[in-house]
Amino acid sequence: MTNTSVPCPSFGELADYWTSDITPGDAEGIETHIFNCERCARMLAEADRLRDGIGALARNGSIQAFVNDAVLNRLARDGVRIRSYALGPGETVRCAAWADDDVIVARLRADFTGVESVDAEMRFDTGEEWAQATDVPVRMGETELVLALPAALVRSAPTGPMRLTLRRSAGASGERILAEYVFQHEGTLQRR
Amino acid sequence: MSTCDDGVVARAVAATDADEATAAETELYRRFAPRVRLFGLKHLPDRSAADDLAQQVMLVVITRLRAGEVREPDQIGSFVLGTSRMMVAGQRRGERRRAAIVARFEPFDEAAETPNDLALDSRRLAPCLAALRERDRTIVLLTYYADRSATEIAAVLGTTAGAVRVSRHRALASIRDCFEARMAS
Repeated sequence: MTNTSVPCPSFGELADYWTSDITPGDAEGIETHIFNCERCARMLAEADRLRDGIGALARNGSIQAFVNDAVLNRLARDGVRIRSYALGPGETVRCAAWADDDVIVARLRADFTGVESVDAEMRFDTGEEWAQATDVPVRMGETELVLALPAALVRSAPTGPMRLTLRRSAGASGERILAEYVFQHEGTLQRR
Repeated sequence: MSTCDDGVVARAVAATDADEATAAETELYRRFAPRVRLFGLKHLPDRSAADDLAQQVMLVVITRLRAGEVREPDQIGSFVLGTSRMMVAGQRRGERRRAAIVARFEPFDEAAETPNDLALDSRRLAPCLAALRERDRTIVLLTYYADRSATEIAAVLGTTAGAVRVSRHRALASIRDCFEARMAS
């Protein structure tokens, strides 16, 4: 049973409670509300479960995303095993996922001058698409993008060359292809 | 009892004898222990500390209700919150946990949802996170996994803190809708 005369916050406003953005005053406001409103207490618990679930997915190496060093550092602190490959434009790298790797990281270097966002796609030599991402934000002055892939996903990919292409996002003027990289995927390796 | 106002439940607890576990006591615990736990998750270092806090606070609340020390049972929510704040402040001063309290409240644990009951199914959540726009997924990860503020994320993405908050709200709502749809299917 709910008994409160204060309007209920939105789900997003409640979820802000779990961020470092919230001011002490706003946090106290939410606390006062949820101790008098069972419905909002349940929503706040739901938001907590979502953030906990997101954290669990990251710790399990189950997230495919363009990330930055803040995320990689947190993964390392959580004991996630990360294997990194760094490539410049036009480069080919021989790569493999070891059986105990959790996350594979590709550091994609390029000249991103004047670029605000990119689209990325990975294709096999056959032309079949393996992965793609659109509207990846690029910070001014950025010299590389960091792509994190679940190692389990990489392990399941067929061996052979895989081409990753970065393009300026649709709508941008000028030459769209920024860089291409080739991953010579050698499959899964086992430690002896 | 489950449809009563919080004040009715609090008064029913106050009317019981000490040493008598009642339906009202269980109901009060069911309603407020999860909220105290949420409060603890915000203010204490880990989930087990938040679980302990929930038990400690509810023991104090029930004891004081029975002793007639809660002047306004209709404002029991405010009383539970005030007790939570005091106990967190006490814990921060290095107050030791009392094992006896944990033992005292073991029977009530069935009344409140436990963390394991509440854990999300990762297999259902993963596709919902994957379905987000790349920019939104980055914001969600930086916020809820890397504990970065909107201002810090804005600097990474070359946008404003306000825009990050808007994107974060939209992304969370999208994940929530997606997850609920998957649970229903």
